[in-house]
Amino acid sequence: MSEKFDITNIAKLASISLSDDEKQKLSSDLSVILDHVQALSNLELDTNIEDVYIHPLEKELVLDQDVEKPSLTHDEALSNAPKASDGKFIVPPSLE
Amino acid sequence: MNLKPTIGIETHIELNTNTKMFCRCKVVDTEEPNISLCPTCIGLPGALPVPNEKAIRYITLLALATGCAITKKGMFHRKNYFYPDLPKNYQISQFDLPVGENGKLEIVIDNEKDYVEIERVHMEEDTGKSSHEGTGRIDSATSTSLDFNRSGVPLVEIVTKPVIQSSKVAVAYIEELRQLAIDLDISEGKLEKGNLRFDANISVAPSESDELGTKVEIKNMNSLRSLERAIDYEIKRQSSAIENGESIIQETRHWDESKETTTSMRSKEGSADYRYFSDPDLPNMVLSDEFVNQVKDSLPPLPHENRNKLVETGLDLSDANVLSKSEKWILELYFEVFDNTKDSKATFNWITGELQGQMRKLEIKSLPEWFSPAFLSDVIKLIDENKISFTSGKVILEELIQKDTTPDDVAKKLDLYQENDESAISEIVNEVIKDNQDIVERIKNGEDKLVGFMVGQIIKSSGGSINPGIAKEILSKELNL
Repeated sequence: MSEKFDITNIAKLASISLSDDEKQKLSSDLSVILDHVQALSNLELDTNIEDVYIHPLEKELVLDQDVEKPSLTHDEALSNAPKASDGKFIVPPSLE
Repeated sequence: MNLKPTIGIETHIELNTNTKMFCRCKVVDTEEPNISLCPTCIGLPGALPVPNEKAIRYITLLALATGCAITKKGMFHRKNYFYPDLPKNYQISQFDLPVGENGKLEIVIDNEKDYVEIERVHMEEDTGKSSHEGTGRIDSATSTSLDFNRSGVPLVEIVTKPVIQSSKVAVAYIEELRQLAIDLDISEGKLEKGNLRFDANISVAPSESDELGTKVEIKNMNSLRSLERAIDYEIKRQSSAIENGESIIQETRHWDESKETTTSMRSKEGSADYRYFSDPDLPNMVLSDEFVNQVKDSLPPLPHENRNKLVETGLDLSDANVLSKSEKWILELYFEVFDNTKDSKATFNWITGELQGQMRKLEIKSLPEWFSPAFLSDVIKLIDENKISFTSGKVILEELIQKDTTPDDVAKKLDLYQENDESAISEIVNEVIKDNQDIVERIKNGEDKLVGFMVGQIIKSSGGSINPGIAKEILSKELNL
């Protein structure tokens, strides 16, 4: 199968750095795996996506009424904070 | 080179439910940080999310009102990213089975109907609020402080198809969506409070090209002014880059209101960056036909339906659009007054002009209890029947807003009724002609503009009780003009 993926981007998403040799080896390994899985595309499915979507739980979702329930107090909520100040959680600086 | 811009908009609407999306902590509107939290909304291990029925009802309302097809068996996904305002390290959102898909929203542009196609309407949760402490600059902050009151507040995201061609259409679309949310009573729709926040995806391509250009996303605007200016700026920036042979980088940019420019924030993520997968804590969400029909039956009149009703009264589409975006009591007042006057334009002008103008001047947000819609109809009718002048109408209205009285009482008390009896007016006119023989001579010799002076004299001697139109008519007759 022709390569339909960008190994550099996959490495970036996985937060790993790969040498050129490793990229080449993993690319061919991944191609083999994808070819194998490709067999699924040959199945003829005329079913609605909603009907075949697999979820680990077979149950249906239960919804709750929009009624307030008491929970943690302010102090309890902050008790696990590594650091707190003026009622807020304090964490190391983060940038967008 | 002829270039065309293409814009798609993603809007987040904060729902006005009592409690959060996946826990029953109260949604609070306060500066006091971290007072409405539980293990679920601060992401403590072992906590399980349970969706809010009202939020699901609200998003279904919005999806139906925008003509979307409803996904009967939907699902929640985890959108993974790391940022301190997201304590679970993922946001519960929806991916390929959103609540609604393929809808459209009617908007009004230059007195014409237009439509913006909606790609999807999905449910998700809001993040906490982070502020960066230190020097005030985000890139030299010494720490980040977090308030999780907003964490888990239900958000509906509405994504348009890339079909918008200008900032003007984008603004009209947001105004319409905001009104829809207010009319459906699913959000307060207050932009200044961040109830609606929008991102715009903008690209520019040669006019003859079928393909879209590289898109740039501008994040997190919450005013129409920012939206309009950011889009205009970005279209200009991209167009001149293309004309200079530079390539556009796919990225996320930030609109800087004070500098009126966009600046690069980061390279744009693709959906693979978020590693979406179905949330194992939340099974399939099945919206039964019974539930959907029940929601459909509860739909109130929508803004476009109100516009159609207003146009039926004789208003043009543009005026109808203004009223459809007014507060509910103004719309009701219009219909009540119109029922009496049958004069759509005068009713519209008096409500949107004089009445709202005076209310703004007096700094009042609602009319006093004693103010009956019949008062406004009476004022309009009195003017129409030439019983009072337009100026007197304004005086009467001002009194009616401030004092518990009636139009008739004010007109009598301030002596505003006009003399309409022709013989009585003729008498005054002849009196004025007799006293101003020199002027009459000059008018007869062709000095037409002196007619205005004579009309003024007539009104003055009547003590202001004569309709100027009638006075002029009788004067012309008497002088054989």
